[in-house]
Amino acid sequence: MALMTSQREAKTGPVVAPAYASPPRAELKGLRISFPLPDMSMLEVISGISMSVAEGEFVAVVGPSGSGKSTILRALCGLLKPSGGEVTVDGKPVSGPPPGVGFMFQKDALLPWRTVAGNIRIGAELGSVPADQHEARIASLIKLLRLEGFENAWPRQLSGGMRQRVSLGRLLAYQPSLMLMDEPFGALDYQTKIAMGRELLSVWEAERRSIIFVTHDIEEAVTLADRVVVFSARPARIIADYKVDIPRPRHLRAMRSDPVFTQLTEAIWSDLAMPS
Amino acid sequence: MALTRTPSDAPDTVIRRKSSWSSSAVPAQAALIFVLLLLWELASYYLYNPFWGSRPSMIAERLWELAVSGHLWMHTSTTLQEAGAGLLLAALLGVPAGIGLARAPRLARLLDPVIMGLYGLPRVALAPLFILWFGIGLFSKIMMSFTMVLFIFILNVMEGIRTIDQDQLDLMKSMRAGRLYVVWTVLLPAIVPWILASFRIGVGLALIGAVVGELIGSNRGLGWYVESSGGQLDTTGVFSGLVVLMILAMVANYLIGFIERKIIKWR
Repeated sequence: MALMTSQREAKTGPVVAPAYASPPRAELKGLRISFPLPDMSMLEVISGISMSVAEGEFVAVVGPSGSGKSTILRALCGLLKPSGGEVTVDGKPVSGPPPGVGFMFQKDALLPWRTVAGNIRIGAELGSVPADQHEARIASLIKLLRLEGFENAWPRQLSGGMRQRVSLGRLLAYQPSLMLMDEPFGALDYQTKIAMGRELLSVWEAERRSIIFVTHDIEEAVTLADRVVVFSARPARIIADYKVDIPRPRHLRAMRSDPVFTQLTEAIWSDLAMPS
Repeated sequence: MALTRTPSDAPDTVIRRKSSWSSSAVPAQAALIFVLLLLWELASYYLYNPFWGSRPSMIAERLWELAVSGHLWMHTSTTLQEAGAGLLLAALLGVPAGIGLARAPRLARLLDPVIMGLYGLPRVALAPLFILWFGIGLFSKIMMSFTMVLFIFILNVMEGIRTIDQDQLDLMKSMRAGRLYVVWTVLLPAIVPWILASFRIGVGLALIGAVVGELIGSNRGLGWYVESSGGQLDTTGVFSGLVVLMILAMVANYLIGFIERKIIKWR
């Protein structure tokens, strides 16, 4: 217990506003978000959150369900207007969807009338890839995500894990510099989820795009991320911000017995068990 | 609202029908129809006077005569033209109207009582008025078919747009997709099954519109033939007209099912 407390104290302070060399890819300053309720009162979902994501950094956000984790992603890609505070992406305040920000939901949101390749092509068509390189990009993503042979399959013919791989392919084809992932593997079974995590890591280690990864799975967060930000229950504040000091490339099975991994997950568990 | 059919159950029926047609169901279906016709034929000899209910062999004979004299084609083509033109006109106006109303929810709310009122109105009762306004020619029947089918297209297209997954639209928005791109990749493909389902329901209704128009006032068409045969107490003529109408609806329904399977491969 003493260890966990000291870790909390050690990590919370400095990491919230880290002094990175490059400017942050995305930054939230005193973000507040409220929704109007039917009885005209306001429900405060986010209560003053400040955090930033550096270039190429993988940040996981964990917290109790309904704590507004997804809401910050919607604010970052301009789908939702905050009630207060500042949201900036690449130093510019967010008003509409900013360029270079890609979103991935828990639901794959594939277009059922487009094939696997056709769905991935949407990302390429809307992204910054020049038109003459679309086919090559799509082909390489299909290979990377182990979807070969399924290029012309319809989404309904795919398993949940494959559908999420296509969804990830569409996101990568867009070539975002910031990837917002909202419990992307939350609806998958345990084994598929682990496999998808491994795939995401290998993609990320190759391309190093900034990621904000929202999840309620603490072990998933620690396994994948450079930093884990812990949200309180609604209205959400940041109750802890941990740096995950586990070297990369990470070995998913071996790191589970790593003392750093165990201590960190334990610490986050106790953070979340705390009354907020 | 019973007539708006979700595309999720429409293509299902198509698939089931396809398998039942391609597998061993066809001989059984044909045998059933044959047995029913046989029972009818026998009943007309032993149970009732064919003056009241005719009999299959007499109907077949009449259809043959009508076919040879060219009357069958004249009446059938008249009814087909009326119903077909009404159906197409309803699609041409109903689909854009449905899209427009779905995209302008405030206007849709304003018009809702009017639309539901007209939709609920037994439009068959408008036939005398239409004959008065548009005469006894083709046009009054086209208008009858059109009013029967129009709301099917409007309501189905509106429902189709309402069921588009919000996540798909949010995703498009987050990737800064243009309005035209969203219409082309999400909106139109999403409503195609609903439009085809509207055609499927609309075929029967368009035929009803054309026939009712002919019953009230005309000088040709299958409805007119049924009506004039009835006036001469010619039950064989009445049944002959009904048989042709039934076959028309079945063939049209099958054709649309075939087109659905060709167009909507992704289901």
